[in-house]
Amino acid sequence: MLELDDELMQRFQKGDEDAFNRLARRHQQPLINFIARFTGDRDNAEDLAQETFIRMYKAANRYKPGRAQFKTWMYLIAKRLCMNEIRNRGRRDRFRVDNIATNDKAYSANDEQIDLIATAPADAAFQPEVALERKELRDAIQKAIAELPEQYRFPLILRDIQGLSYEEISKILELRSGTTKSRINRARLMLKDKLKPFMELL
Amino acid sequence: MNCLQAEENFSAHLEDALDYQTLQRFESHIAECPTCQREYARFSESVKVSQQLPQIEPSPYFIPTLQQRLAEEQRGTLSFWQRLQGIFNMPKWALSGVMVLLLITGTATFLYHNDWFNGEIDPSNEQISTPRAGLSSGSPSLNNQFLPRASGSSDFSNTISAQPMQQHYTLKRVSYSTVSTGGGL
Repeated sequence: MLELDDELMQRFQKGDEDAFNRLARRHQQPLINFIARFTGDRDNAEDLAQETFIRMYKAANRYKPGRAQFKTWMYLIAKRLCMNEIRNRGRRDRFRVDNIATNDKAYSANDEQIDLIATAPADAAFQPEVALERKELRDAIQKAIAELPEQYRFPLILRDIQGLSYEEISKILELRSGTTKSRINRARLMLKDKLKPFMELL
Repeated sequence: MNCLQAEENFSAHLEDALDYQTLQRFESHIAECPTCQREYARFSESVKVSQQLPQIEPSPYFIPTLQQRLAEEQRGTLSFWQRLQGIFNMPKWALSGVMVLLLITGTATFLYHNDWFNGEIDPSNEQISTPRAGLSSGSPSLNNQFLPRASGSSDFSNTISAQPMQQHYTLKRVSYSTVSTGGGL
C-alpha cells in the first residue's frame, strides 16, 4: 500500500532517512517540471529542485503533518527559489525556451523519432508532417507560457501542467480563492491569444 | 451577459463550475455570438494542448546526486563531538578522557620547555627584564651578565639573541659609565 506523504514525513522526523528519499523519488518529476516550465531552463531546474529538497530536509522538524500538505509546502519553497532565480538571472536570458527543447531531445534520445514511432501504430491517418507540427506546437506553447507575467504563469502551470486543485494553488500562491480563479482564467486567455497563429494546427 | 462577462466565465464553464443560472446566461450568449463561439473554441483547445504537454523526465543522476548532497548536509549539521565520534569510533566518555589526557600532556610539555618547573629564578633573566637596575649600581661586573652565555640553557641564549638592539645599547651605556668613573675624563 502506498504510504501517504505525511506518513513518510513523520517517519523521517523520527530518523528514517529512507522515508525522505522515497518522498524525493515520488515528487522529483512534478517538481522538475514545475521549475522547468516556470524558469524555461531545463538544466537549472534540476539544481533548483535539489535545492528545494535540501531546504525541506533541513526544515523537516518544523513541518507539521496535517496542517499543510507536503506537496503544497514543496511548491511553496520551489516558487520562492524560482522567483529568486529569475531575479538573479536578470532580463537578458530570462526565458531560455530553446534550452528546454534541446534538453527534451537529449533526454529522450530522439524525441521526434519517438513521437513518430509512438503515434504510428495508434493513428491510422498517421502523417510525419503532422507529428512534426505538433512538436513545433509544443515548443510554441512552452514559449507562450514562459512569456506570461509571473503572476499568471505560476497559477497556469500549477493548474494545467501540474494538475493541482484551486485550493492547493491558493495556498501555494498565498492568494484568495477568487483571485486564483480569475488569474487562471486570465492566463488561459493570454495563452489563447499567443497561440492564435498555431490554431489551425489544433 | 455580454462578451466580456462571457470571457470571464470561460474557465468556469470548461470545468463545469458554473451555477445553473450563470450557465443558462452563458450558453444563451454563446449561442447568439459567433465571436465568443470562436474564442471559446480556441480557449478550450489551447487549454487542452497545454495540459497535454509532455512531462520532462528527471535525469538518472538526480536522486544519487541529491542523496550525496543530503549526506553532506547531514555531516555539516553534526556537532563537534558527533564528528569526533565518527572519526575515532569510540564512546563519548572515552573520547573525553583522551581529550583531557592530550590537554594535560600538551600543557605539561609547554611548561617544561619554558622552565616553569624550575623553582629557582634565573638572575640573568631578572637582569634582562630590568636592565636599569643593573646600571644604577655602576658595577663593571654587570657587563658579564649581559653577555650571551657560551654554554648552559639554550633558551636563555635565544632570549638574548631575540633582543639584540636592547642588549647592545645597554652594554654601551655600562661601558661608558665605567670608563667615565675610572678614567677621570
